[in-house]
Amino acid sequence: MEQTQVVLEVQNLVKRFDGLVAVDNLNFKVKKGRIHALIGPNGAGKTTTVNMITGDNPQTEGEVLFYGKSISKMPIYERASLGIGRTFQNIKLFSTMTVMENLLIGGQGKTTQNLLKYLANFKLAQREERQLREKAEEILNFIGMYKYKDEQVSNLAYGRQKMTELGRTLMGDPKLILLDEPAAGLNPSERKEFIDIIQKVFENNVDMFLIEHNMDVVMNLSHDITVLNFGCKIAEGDPKSILENEEVISAYLGEGYRKQMKKEAGQDA
Amino acid sequence: MGSIIVQLIISGIAMGFIYALVGIEYTLIWNASGVLNFSHDKLITLGAYIFGGTYIVGMQLGFVEGILLSIVTVAVIGIIIAKVIFIPLRNLTMIYTIMATVMLGKIIVEAIRLYWGPVPFSVPGFLVGTVKINNIVISIANIVIIIAAAICVCALQLFLYKTKPGKAMRCVAQNRNASQIMGIDVKTVMIITIIISMVICCLIGILVSPLLNISTTMSNMIGLKGFAAGVIGGFGYLPGAIVGGLVIGIVENLASMVFPAVYKDIAAFVLLVAFLLVRPKGITGKTR
Amino acid sequence: MKRIANRQYLWIGAIFVVLALVPLFIDNNYYITILNQMVINMIVVFGLNFITGLTGQMNLGTAGIYAIGAYTSALLSKNFGISPWLTMMAAICAGFLLGRGLGYPSLKMKGVYLSLTTLAFTEIVRIFATNLIDITGGTQGINDIPRFAVGPVMLDTNTKYFYFILVVAVLVCLLSIRIVYSKWGREFRAVRDNADAIESLGLDIKKIKIRAFTLAAMYGTLGGALYAHFNSYITSLSFTTDLSINYVIILMVGGIGSILGNMVGAVVVTLLPELLRFLGDYYQITYCILVLISALFLPNGLVSIYGKITGLLNKGSSAEGGE
Repeated sequence: MEQTQVVLEVQNLVKRFDGLVAVDNLNFKVKKGRIHALIGPNGAGKTTTVNMITGDNPQTEGEVLFYGKSISKMPIYERASLGIGRTFQNIKLFSTMTVMENLLIGGQGKTTQNLLKYLANFKLAQREERQLREKAEEILNFIGMYKYKDEQVSNLAYGRQKMTELGRTLMGDPKLILLDEPAAGLNPSERKEFIDIIQKVFENNVDMFLIEHNMDVVMNLSHDITVLNFGCKIAEGDPKSILENEEVISAYLGEGYRKQMKKEAGQDA
Repeated sequence: MGSIIVQLIISGIAMGFIYALVGIEYTLIWNASGVLNFSHDKLITLGAYIFGGTYIVGMQLGFVEGILLSIVTVAVIGIIIAKVIFIPLRNLTMIYTIMATVMLGKIIVEAIRLYWGPVPFSVPGFLVGTVKINNIVISIANIVIIIAAAICVCALQLFLYKTKPGKAMRCVAQNRNASQIMGIDVKTVMIITIIISMVICCLIGILVSPLLNISTTMSNMIGLKGFAAGVIGGFGYLPGAIVGGLVIGIVENLASMVFPAVYKDIAAFVLLVAFLLVRPKGITGKTR
Repeated sequence: MKRIANRQYLWIGAIFVVLALVPLFIDNNYYITILNQMVINMIVVFGLNFITGLTGQMNLGTAGIYAIGAYTSALLSKNFGISPWLTMMAAICAGFLLGRGLGYPSLKMKGVYLSLTTLAFTEIVRIFATNLIDITGGTQGINDIPRFAVGPVMLDTNTKYFYFILVVAVLVCLLSIRIVYSKWGREFRAVRDNADAIESLGLDIKKIKIRAFTLAAMYGTLGGALYAHFNSYITSLSFTTDLSINYVIILMVGGIGSILGNMVGAVVVTLLPELLRFLGDYYQITYCILVLISALFLPNGLVSIYGKITGLLNKGSSAEGGE
């Protein structure tokens, strides 16, 4: 079998805030066809890392490569249009608009950006809008949100809003989605639904990179895990090896967690 | 020639201190409440009217009593404005906060016109005269402005760093929500901030009254240039406002040697746009 | 959304029809002048609606923009004898350049910079217009700015001119509707709703804001040019910050972001001075207090009252929900 392709690679990534080192010399690779998780205690630099990848808060030093091409100096929107989608830890939706409108905005980065051409060409305008709507309806069906399409998002429950945000990201045809704490704030049934959708999206050939605190979610979803502590990588590997890793246990998981996992594994078997 | 340049620089520094005070006065409110106070130039005018119109020309009080009473008066007005306008505004979006303060300014101007009448006047005998050192002629007004503004800046620094309310103000400026959680009464801090800001406005009004006639439009330009001072120095950063103010004051006075005097007022705005293009974070490079 | 939009079109149409009928019943030249000014204000506010109404960026430079339009068209047509049709086009081009030139420095960053630079810009324009007496006539102004003809009809009376600008207003309104209720309008509103999310969707927020501001500047210069040829006389004294503020008031009183609101605002705010005239000296202060109250307590403007009333009338109807 040939070598798996690398979707995203960060090289020697460093982030300093006024002398404070938030992320120090970080390296990892997100491989094609794998769900990659980044875990670690609060303040380990996880969100900082995501913000360096998306460009929201660029790195002090180092490189971010997307399909082998450096994107470290690109503005946020250019990285997004290359195919890096993201969701936010605290949902960032267009709250006075409907679910449908939120999704449409998610897709219109790929439509014509020339206002004059758009205004002069009624047909083009109509066709674009129709295609966007069809695509949005398809995605709404896919994420099970079709019946909410004309609801204003600020009136929706948190879980629905989170789903809307994922739908909006999908509208941009991302190749890789960065999920910032996808399970946070969801109740168990919403969480299960969300994980199922993420699995389904992943099966449609979209790679995933996630930050997550909930270890059940991480262990269920991910194929590769990178563990951060105080801005440094302390471990990397598949879920099983991470669970066994002494350093990870002492820094993050704690003894109790391993026992619990073993017990659960025993019950499942 | 040399002495003219020195004179221009000194009067530039004096005006620069005025702009710096304007920059400080609105930055304080901006940091405390996130409201850009577009009524500040009218509050300066109001201070000048209370001092000149009521206490000096109207009641014939001495200058010192006049200044002290003016400060007390604006402090009281400040509490009212804080409670009626600024506290309800702090959670609205920018358009409404800007428009509400703009309308507050217009209401103040109309009230001034109705109460004191529309005719401009001046304060007789207040800070007149000049001093001559070698060949350099300096007006007493400029000297007093520089000294008073410097005292004012130092007093404010002492207040912000050495007193409890001052420290609370700095906390709120850093992070309003966190301050609230830490048990700081944000509303009280806002009221204190607005009172201080109003008092500074009043002092500016008093200090410029020897330079300008007291009229409803006297401080329009000062207000705008104060905004420019804040951006040029570093928006939301108090020392930045001082640096920006001094730069504008000196540059515009020197520019009047090269360009016709009527275009002197443009210098500040050209600097403003130039800084936005080249160095948007301002001279100090610090914004909030 | 669709249904609300449709009902809104009906009202927009109705207002235009009523406006078109007014001169048939009134031949007082003073009122016709006010009508002209009202429709010019409408055109300018349709533009301001893009940047301040939809994207939520405060523009306090409308007076400067308006002045540039007025002077461009007035000077070119008067001094060089160019047809006002062409000079009005030139004014719109000036608006385009202005939008790009002023929008770029002030909109590349988040925050209040646009309000400050546009405010300063208005002052710069006013200072130049006042002091470049050889060109602009200073405070004395420029007079005898030519009116022009549409085909065989010379627009020599204020009533004829009114119908001309009413047609322009209808066209401009249609253009606005087409932009506001399309993906462009969606982007503009998205900037106001959550500026942080836009870039992550592959959209360049600077471009969106500059586009909205450029549209506002083009509408503004068109309005200024129409004003110059209507009034036949312009002076630097008219283009003050108060004028800029007045346009924001129109926008806010009518209803931010709504085209119908822009029209209602233009009608109400242009007529208000006439209605409040009986207050004499106290007119200005009353007017300001009214506007302040509307900013604090009626943030969605007069059109939102209509929405609330219909909402109460047919409770349970799913068409509820604002703009």
